[in-house]
Amino acid sequence: MKTAMPRSLFLLVAACLLAVLTGCDKPAATAAHQRLVIFSQCNNAEPYRAAQNQRFGELFGRHPELKFVIYDGQADAAKQISQIENAILQKPDLLIVAPFERNALSDVMGRAMAAGIPTICLERDIVQPNFTTFISSDNVAIGRLAGQFMVDLLTKKNGEARGNLVEITGMSGVQGAADRHRGAFEVLAKYPGIKVVHQATANWMQAEAMPRMEEALAANPRIDVVYAHNDPMAYGAYLVAKEKGRAKDIAFIGVDGLANEGAKYVAEGILAATFEYPLCVDKAVEIGIKLLEDKTFKPQPQYLLESRAITHP
Amino acid sequence: MKECLRRHRDLVQSLAVLGLIFSLAAVCSPRDWRTGGPLFLQADNLTNLLRVTTPVAMVALGMTLVILTGGIDLSVGSTLGLAAVVAALALAKWRWGGAAAIATAITVGGLVGLLNGALVALLRVPPFIITLASMIGIRGLARSWCNNENIGLRTAGDAAVRFVDTWSQKPFMIGLFAGLALLVAALLRGTVFGRYVRALGDNPTAAVYAGLPIKRVQLAVYGLTGLLAGLAGVLTAARTNTGNPNDGIAAELDVIAVVVMGGTALTGGRGGIAGTVIGALIVGILANILGLRNVDANSQLMLKAGIIVLAVVLQQRRAAR
Repeated sequence: MKTAMPRSLFLLVAACLLAVLTGCDKPAATAAHQRLVIFSQCNNAEPYRAAQNQRFGELFGRHPELKFVIYDGQADAAKQISQIENAILQKPDLLIVAPFERNALSDVMGRAMAAGIPTICLERDIVQPNFTTFISSDNVAIGRLAGQFMVDLLTKKNGEARGNLVEITGMSGVQGAADRHRGAFEVLAKYPGIKVVHQATANWMQAEAMPRMEEALAANPRIDVVYAHNDPMAYGAYLVAKEKGRAKDIAFIGVDGLANEGAKYVAEGILAATFEYPLCVDKAVEIGIKLLEDKTFKPQPQYLLESRAITHP
Repeated sequence: MKECLRRHRDLVQSLAVLGLIFSLAAVCSPRDWRTGGPLFLQADNLTNLLRVTTPVAMVALGMTLVILTGGIDLSVGSTLGLAAVVAALALAKWRWGGAAAIATAITVGGLVGLLNGALVALLRVPPFIITLASMIGIRGLARSWCNNENIGLRTAGDAAVRFVDTWSQKPFMIGLFAGLALLVAALLRGTVFGRYVRALGDNPTAAVYAGLPIKRVQLAVYGLTGLLAGLAGVLTAARTNTGNPNDGIAAELDVIAVVVMGGTALTGGRGGIAGTVIGALIVGILANILGLRNVDANSQLMLKAGIIVLAVVLQQRRAAR
């Protein structure tokens, strides 16, 4: 019986842990008059997604009649599927999904629709139209804006549209990276004077962009502009160029334009420009509230949001 | 006889913990605001829970044998990802039939396991190192075979859609796991091989002197674990409609946690399949109730850590007596 104590201790501690962490003391259920909105976010641990969560919290916070809950898919499709299954059990009045992966989430969103839950697909599409509406922004259009900005910048700097360009791309195989590349090069291709002297992928990561930029600098005595598919990579490229004393000769262009990231880099003069990748949250809340308040409201199948350039004043 | 009694008492204790966690989950569950009943106890939720737990639990069956021999296999998560990619490539890119694709993916998993087993048996390098290396290498292989891309199955032809629809069904996934658990338990209890597995971990020196076929036992346990990881990869591909080379990252840790929670000693020799199934259920219920209550992901990680440490502390006390 000597071992009975640790076992009961274990039971006790486990029970306490579970009770504390699941919050047994708090009222569990949604108040009867409240309506439930569940947002299935694919990964909280990304700045863009954290900004989305915060904005959702602000906007839905203005509606005391709504209970707003965020599920964190933790960058794992299977986990996000299971969370949406949990969501379906709770029969929310509105479900918003930012899918981690376009193939994986398609089925379970279909099941939410089949259960009669209005479902907004946010920012990334899925392979079947299993949503009430799809709200996203257009990466090709962002690429075009960036391409035109670089053409104008090089024309101003060199008297005509010519110069050496380094492109640091996002993860290969991801639509966003492919589209940001395609849009920019639709514009750049018209100017043979603009040469791509170096192209490398840094998988959206600042830490990976730094060695890629070191290689680009070593291989190219003259670089006029760096086009990175997001702001952290552009910032990483800048840091390396600054270390080598070459940052002043190069214009750095990023994408995303988050207030405390890319937009701040532009304000500090680090980036020449960044292009806002809309959070899509304001539109989602606007449409979501309409869906909740008016059962007859028929949203468009898709809403495409415009980007804008953030540059020096 | 004494060992048998002790094992039964351990199992009863594990069942008691399972019962406690289950009741706590039912009590703490959010209510269905229409009927007032706990969401946790709804049939749909309980089957959701079982299906979500299946891939990790399945690999844990094999891992139990590996750990019983005193070994460890860190490569199972990567093997799972590789098998998911192979199944998806075969269905979507090479347009094979379902049976051929599934068999190939599972075989690839088995081959990885055999390679681990062979290296452990022949090189006499600690299994931790061998399988750490294959965890790294196999992940690279998975990513290179599919060019870093996710391979979608939902729009990849009839065979792929049939595969996804059949293999992701709850009765199928849960039934498959139950059958395999019974099979591996029988293997461990009722065969000479099972006794060798325990003997090897219980006292390796004695196993050498007794002339046990140590190398063959090692090949078999790692091979079996590879097969099960392959199968888990196929199930994950079906469930997510995707072959994703990043599937199963850190799954080895979940698998080991399940085995340890189930009372199998990391030092080998002690433990069994029934414990592992209970461990999987405990981990599954915890994940489910924390999910239903929408407990913050980071707190969940800290809770997991606490529970694993507690389980192991308890283990050591049990082993010491």
